[in-house]
Amino acid sequence: MTPALELLNVEAGYGPFRALFGVTISVPAGGAVALLGANGAGKTTVARVASGLLEPSAGSVLVDGRDLTGERTFRFARAGVAHAPEGRSVFATFTVEENLTLSFQRLLGSDGLDDGLERAYSIFPRLGERRRQVAGTLSGGEQRMLSMARVLVEAPSVLVADELSLGLAPIVTDEIYATLEAIRASGTAMLIVEQHVGHALALCEHVVLLDKGTVAWEGPADEAADVVVSRLFEKSGG
Amino acid sequence: MSVLFEATGIQKAFSGIRALEDVSLKVEAGERVGLIGPNGAGKTTFFNCVLGVLRPDAGQVLLDGEDIGGLPVHRRARRGIGRTFQRIELFSDMSVREHLLLAERVRRGEGSLLRDLFGRGGPNADERRRCDEVLELLGLGDLADEPVEALSLGQGRLVEVGRALMTEPRLLLADEPSSGLDRGETDALATTLRQVQGERGFAILLVEHDVELVASFTERTYVLDFGHVIAEGSTAEVMSDELVRHAYFGDIGNIDSESRS
Amino acid sequence: MVLAAGTGTDVVRAILQGTPPGAVYALVALGFVLTYKTSGVFNLAFGAQAFVSAAMFFQARVEWGWSTVPALVLAVFVLAPLTGLLMERLIFRHLRTASAVSKLVVAIGLSVALPSLFETLTGFAGVAGRTPEGLVPDGATVFYDPLGVYPFSRDELVALGVAVVGMLGLGALFRFSSIGLAMRAVVESPRMTELAGIDADRVSSVAWMLSSFFAGMAGVLIAPRFNTLMAPDFFHLVVVAVAAAAIGRLVSLPRALIGGLGLGIFIALFRTFLPRWSADHPWLEPFQNNLTPSMPFVVLFGVLVLWPAIRRSPAAADPLSGVDPPPPSLVSATRSAVLTRAARVFGVCFLLLVGLTVWFRGDVVWVHLVTQATIMSLILLSVTVITGLAGQISLCQGTFAAIGALTVFQLADRWDVSVLAAALVGAVIAAVVGALLSIPVLRLGGIWLAIATLAFAFFFDAVMLKFSWVGGGDSALLQGHRVPRPVLGPWDLADDRRFLVLVVVVFALVSVFVIRIREGTTGLILRGLRGSEVAAESVGVSPARARMLAFAISAAIAGLGGGLLAIHQENVNYGNNFTPMAALFWVVLVVTLSARTVEGAAQAGAAFSLFNSVILRGDGIGWITRGHLPGFFPLSPKWRFVLFGLASIQFARHPEGLVEHGKRRATAGMDARLAARRERAEPGAASSTAQQDPPSPDPSKVAAVGKQP
Repeated sequence: MTPALELLNVEAGYGPFRALFGVTISVPAGGAVALLGANGAGKTTVARVASGLLEPSAGSVLVDGRDLTGERTFRFARAGVAHAPEGRSVFATFTVEENLTLSFQRLLGSDGLDDGLERAYSIFPRLGERRRQVAGTLSGGEQRMLSMARVLVEAPSVLVADELSLGLAPIVTDEIYATLEAIRASGTAMLIVEQHVGHALALCEHVVLLDKGTVAWEGPADEAADVVVSRLFEKSGG
Repeated sequence: MSVLFEATGIQKAFSGIRALEDVSLKVEAGERVGLIGPNGAGKTTFFNCVLGVLRPDAGQVLLDGEDIGGLPVHRRARRGIGRTFQRIELFSDMSVREHLLLAERVRRGEGSLLRDLFGRGGPNADERRRCDEVLELLGLGDLADEPVEALSLGQGRLVEVGRALMTEPRLLLADEPSSGLDRGETDALATTLRQVQGERGFAILLVEHDVELVASFTERTYVLDFGHVIAEGSTAEVMSDELVRHAYFGDIGNIDSESRS
Repeated sequence: MVLAAGTGTDVVRAILQGTPPGAVYALVALGFVLTYKTSGVFNLAFGAQAFVSAAMFFQARVEWGWSTVPALVLAVFVLAPLTGLLMERLIFRHLRTASAVSKLVVAIGLSVALPSLFETLTGFAGVAGRTPEGLVPDGATVFYDPLGVYPFSRDELVALGVAVVGMLGLGALFRFSSIGLAMRAVVESPRMTELAGIDADRVSSVAWMLSSFFAGMAGVLIAPRFNTLMAPDFFHLVVVAVAAAAIGRLVSLPRALIGGLGLGIFIALFRTFLPRWSADHPWLEPFQNNLTPSMPFVVLFGVLVLWPAIRRSPAAADPLSGVDPPPPSLVSATRSAVLTRAARVFGVCFLLLVGLTVWFRGDVVWVHLVTQATIMSLILLSVTVITGLAGQISLCQGTFAAIGALTVFQLADRWDVSVLAAALVGAVIAAVVGALLSIPVLRLGGIWLAIATLAFAFFFDAVMLKFSWVGGGDSALLQGHRVPRPVLGPWDLADDRRFLVLVVVVFALVSVFVIRIREGTTGLILRGLRGSEVAAESVGVSPARARMLAFAISAAIAGLGGGLLAIHQENVNYGNNFTPMAALFWVVLVVTLSARTVEGAAQAGAAFSLFNSVILRGDGIGWITRGHLPGFFPLSPKWRFVLFGLASIQFARHPEGLVEHGKRRATAGMDARLAARRERAEPGAASSTAQQDPPSPDPSKVAAVGKQP
């Protein structure tokens, strides 16, 4: 079966800064891969390459077997890659509803728009209560929900989620991961970038561990916990 | 050993969000100290407060027991705080040697428009000799006349170190020197840095997220999280601290024990 | 009480009076912010676009006798968006990764080129001495007074109405349409918009068309407020728009709207009340007369200098801004020693040849032109210092030159001071003004520094010049021969040839100084600052002090040149020589040719003074063909603006200048051969004089060097 998303020998960076040195990652259709690693290991860069935000300087990116290397970001989105970037990535001056509308309009058309909004509000009732509120004034967790809602309603073929739990209260993180489980069940492939490993290991069956821009280890999730600890701390601490 | 640098009770908030709450840190003369912490822990904010790019809301920055909190960036530099940059900052269109000469002339304070007008503004033999020494020390001798655009990132980092060395710093703030380098390049940089530091005897405050580099390079380490120092002590101790792991990896401890049980 | 009531009415009246222009300003400010945010272009060519539409409308209405509606459709609904689309597609889209300053220079080039291009293509000649047509007949003469406080002219009502409709339309577009939503999204973050599957480039094109439409509309609406129809008038519109946009910190559309309206009302209030205060306080009177027309510049300058918030980078608002690579640095490889030597030898020979020809063969006109070219070269050396060396775009070099010229005039006219001494005094005064100006503006840096200097230039133009102790008062805006030629020992420099010798000697001296500054410590520090300000600070450089010095040196050179120009022309001729628009063209010329080298300034000076007669009038061709000129000569002198304005588009790609770029390429091969020969002569001493295009970083090299110890 064609993988939903493939990065082949990707090298990428920002100007003179090289962040990835020949990274190969494959996300099978319907599968979920957790991307773990310390700060600065290149996780966010992988996410950006996967969603077309950053053009790799070498290597290629395939979505559903189609080579999209070098294409513009919106082509990736249209090919079914949904990216929830790290941080407070919502349109801060838009209302909650406008934020959602912007994402749904192209996918659902103006007829399906209302339906899409309703579904978003049923997944995240808190957003429904605040549909007229300007997104910049939402709490961190609500902004995260909003940016998830934008990509989750019309289950994408691949979801790239970057640092979902960053700066969130544990209970909110739980809530978001519960939603991810549901989305996964509907067949969306996932690339989950996380610094906090617990949730990611519970959700994903495959783990890729990055270190200084290269894949240091990969394998099934149930072997990952030991490896993470030994790779990132005990070796250096000892 | 004497305390060279000390920051006490540094606080800084940006439009209500507290980036630093009461951070204190000490560096002794000639010491190698690490400062680590997850994304958004406040490392960069702290760094900028020390350098004078930002003014802390509260707290003191002391160099040799003297409060330098009111000085602008360039005055702190002249007092002996050198730095390198995470996103490399070189003078484009200048050669490697010119980078060092610039720092040397500024340190000596010998620039004057009048001297320039009479054609005597250039560097003298003594200055050139000092530059060459540092270039040799860093292994940049062959590249001295190259424009910096022709250098690789790792070489560029060394030029930054050399430029900082010309100011005769007593404390070198290294801002994530390993970013953008692969493991081999990072190791090479660390080796050079350790050698230069041994020879010149300045103190280093290394802000890094490459835990491995911090572990191998520093003697003591501070860990920041959510604007607090959550751990400090000898690097080996800090690295095995449960709190630190938690800050970096969340609930891994639980998962770990579950999978083992 | 009566007084208070009267004051209240006046306030209302002023508010009503200020609302129509304020609404137009708001329209322009909205368009300005829209282009800035969707494409990162600080579009100073906005005024030129407004002028083009206004002129097109006038041309169609008056010259071609069209009626209002088709003329409006052509000028505003077709031409304006088309211009915007072309600018975006052909130019700015390709400069996406260029630095903000490079884009600003390109926009300045366009603002010089567009009006002249339009005028040469359509044969439109500026209109003076009559009020341009408005949208309605008798616009300026029929009044309505609905509230019994302030009579609105028809034009004002139309302007107000159209602006309000325009703003409501824009509001509706933004709120209810999908393209409007997409546009607002791109304003906030193009990257995130693309993540939603929307083509941000296409949205950006639409935004350019829309904002250019606004510029065109504003141009047609504002034209009846002037009694001329000339490009510089419309440049004011940009300044107002920038001021209004700056109030909105360049990121907020609603705030830009409020800024525009507020500015219109503020100016009207000022106009109403300043005369009264000055009746009580006579010392205010000159300000009253002078300040009123220049309020926008004063406001802009004040906003920039006094409001630190706008200096904070608005880019921080884009959560994904970290994705963009750092802009490529403003510089390329260093110049080779061979080229420098060759250029110096060639330059001296060429100058000698030209000098001898002019001395022995040249007629009065040629001596005059060459003198002018040399003096212009001297003035343009000031751009070499501030832009080439210090990397700052200063748009008030004309003002510094004017200060030199006016000093010569004042000292010679009032106190009979020797003009050469006066020129030196003028240079000193200009240096002091430059240094003082640098204190508030040099914290700004980048585009804001350029804009602040532009505001200063307009401020000087509108306010300071009117003082008799500056500009010589009404009687003497400097007609006739008011500045004598000097006598230097045995030589009476009233003789044009002798004066030319003096000018050449001064230019040569200053050139040597500039080269020495560049090669000395001052130059080293300034180049360092240009390369990276934070890095220079980190080794102890005080940016404020270094920049102040650069500003002062540059201003002194410009002042000296301005003084010599006044002596040469025997009066100041402010309007011909030193207006802010003229100075804008200087910058365009120098950066197009080469801002880095002394010969770049010389070439720019020659181009400024000689291009017209040698190339466009056909004298050069005629000399070669012995009088057989092709039929299309003489060409319009406006081509000078068009050609150099359009050529400056290349600045983003070749910041060292087009001519310089060509020369470097031409000598690259020779360099390589020389380097190879040296290599053979003394193996091992490989140096890198021939660093044409720096090789991309080679990973293997890092490891090698790093591991040496």
